[in-house]
Amino acid sequence: MTEITEGVVTGGWPNVIAAYTITAAGLLVYAWSLVSRLRRFEEKE
Amino acid sequence: MKKFAWEHWVGILGLALLFVGSYVGLVVAPPERYMGDVQRIMYVHVPSAWTAMVCYTAAFVAAIVSLWTGRRRWDAALVGMIETGMVFNALLLCQGSLWGRATWGVWWDWDVRLTTSLVMLLLFTGVLALRSFVEDAEQRASWSAIAAIVSYVDVPLVYFCVRWWRSLHQVQSSPETVDPLMVFPLRTNAIALVLVAIWLIARRARLELRRRQHEEVGEPERREPIHD
Repeated sequence: MTEITEGVVTGGWPNVIAAYTITAAGLLVYAWSLVSRLRRFEEKE
Repeated sequence: MKKFAWEHWVGILGLALLFVGSYVGLVVAPPERYMGDVQRIMYVHVPSAWTAMVCYTAAFVAAIVSLWTGRRRWDAALVGMIETGMVFNALLLCQGSLWGRATWGVWWDWDVRLTTSLVMLLLFTGVLALRSFVEDAEQRASWSAIAAIVSYVDVPLVYFCVRWWRSLHQVQSSPETVDPLMVFPLRTNAIALVLVAIWLIARRARLELRRRQHEEVGEPERREPIHD
């Protein structure tokens, strides 16, 4: 949980972890989709 | 033996840099004075924004060249650049939402920077959607190139809107006013994500070329070789 005390944000690590996790997961899922779609084409050929 | 495509080396280098930049950003860099640790989202948020804009700018250039030359590899590159740009654009909005929740207290605000970034994603989604409606390959290439050029109008707006209009979103920082330990992961991750984007674009472009070859199975004389 984040807390704002006297103009300073404290905590916020869950948001940081979520942001990095979403970034890694998004890139991995897209990369995997490309690799698997390309592989399917190569198998057809 | 199958040749190891050049883009794999670029992707590996990008991933290595991303690990280094993220480690320094999460562990070594100091917390920001007012935003504390939540500011560490910046080390993926800003590079994602830059990468999305680089991809869209490259797509704008590819669209012009595709219209000019009519060569299918430029059309394939255009698809790769747009789709990869959209991935980074979507990530950018998610990361920004997490950062906004912690600092502004809201997941979303119809602020000019946020809105133009969302419009940018929707416009380029429209370009790819348009492609799926056009059966003729030549027509599909020219229509999507024109749509990409028109959609690109929003990209400079996203960058400059925080200077031109009042916005909740902060304006771009200058490296001179930022701790060097914050500049290093920011730049490292920016280079890393651009390299990862090059890998994604190259893979997506190859997929598009293959798809088009399959469409033209009945017209082998029109085929162009794919060089790995």
